[in-house]
Parts: sequence; structure tokens; C-alpha cells
Amino acid sequence: MHIHKFEKIWLIFGVSCLVIFLSVVGVSAFYLGNKPPSCLTTINPEKVDQTKPFNKPGLNKVEGKEWDYELVFVASAFSYNPAQVEVPLGAKVKVIATTKDVIHGFEVAGTNINMMLEPGYVSEYTTTFDKAGEYLIVCNEYCGAGHHLMSSKIEVVK
Amino acid sequence: MAKAELKTKQKTEVEVEDSSSLKGTLASVFFLGAFIIVTWVSVYYLFVDRF
Repeated sequence: MHIHKFEKIWLIFGVSCLVIFLSVVGVSAFYLGNKPPSCLTTINPEKVDQTKPFNKPGLNKVEGKEWDYELVFVASAFSYNPAQVEVPLGAKVKVIATTKDVIHGFEVAGTNINMMLEPGYVSEYTTTFDKAGEYLIVCNEYCGAGHHLMSSKIEVVK
Repeated sequence: MAKAELKTKQKTEVEVEDSSSLKGTLASVFFLGAFIIVTWVSVYYLFVDRF
């Protein structure tokens, strides 16, 4: 079979791009341990308020874990609990969130924290808050008539 | 007397590229490839830069 010289060039170029892009994703998943925010941790959506850690929403200091704080959010139509929270600059935080009723979104605007909160499931994302400022949390899954009013705020302070 | 230059034989050679040439195709493939790489890398750095 004859393959034109140029065809060989762009086939090698295309295949190597694909290999590089997929290796980056593979290293991120299998070596760095990145995973989707909702990783099959379940919860009874009717007993969210009695279930740890959702019985104490807000920023909680933890000991003996890979992260320094747990930032717990409970979403319900049409608000987040807590409505505002302060996080110290440079803290390694595990954001843990769930919903009591319908599907809500949890997007911290301008950051990589962007999760879908499904009833019955716990979503989590671990990150280091290394930039000071105010970050708006918005719901980005249409959840009902008050969807556009649903917001919260994270303040990263020194 | 001046001669009218009518039937003088002049060869005009116009270089016609072989119609099976793939130069343009190669250029457009790499143009598209460069666009995809630039957008992919910029989105990747945006992801790495944010927390």
C-alpha cells in the first residue's frame, strides 16, 4: 500500500497529539488521583440534617487528614447553608456538599470547584485556597422558580 | 521594413502544479492542528492556574 509522504506526516502528528492528550488525562486520573466530584458516596436525602458532617455546615477544622479543613455545604431550594463563609488563605480544604431536595449546581465562580449536587449523593472536591478574594457560589442547574436567587459566598482572607 | 511579429515561435512555459499535490492539504491540516493545540494548552493552563 502506498501512503503519500505528507499523509504519513499528518498521521504521525495526529496520532501523537491524541496520545499526549490522553496521557495527560490518564496521569491526572490514575497518578494524581483526580476523580469526578460525585464518586458514589451516598446519603439519605431526608436525613441530611442529622447525618455527619452535614449536621454542622460551614468550615470545620480537622486533624489527621490530608486536608486541614472541611467546608460543608447543604443546598436546598433556594439557598445554601452557610450563606457566607470565611476561609484562611493557603488552607487545604475539602469541600463537601449535598442537596436536600432537587438537583442543584455548586459553582464557585472563577475556580475549578464546579459540582453537581444530586439528591442522595455527596459531592466533594479537595483544593488549596491560594488566592485571596471573594468568590461567588452560584447554582448552575435549573432548580425551580428561585434558581436565580440561589447564591453563597466564600471569602478567602489572610 | 519592419516585420510584423506574427508567427514567431515563443514557448511560454507556465508551471502548473501537479493536481495530485497535497501541499495545500498539509498546510491546512497543520493550521487546524496548531489551532487545536493552542486552545487545548490554553484551557489546560487555565485549569492549572485556578484552585
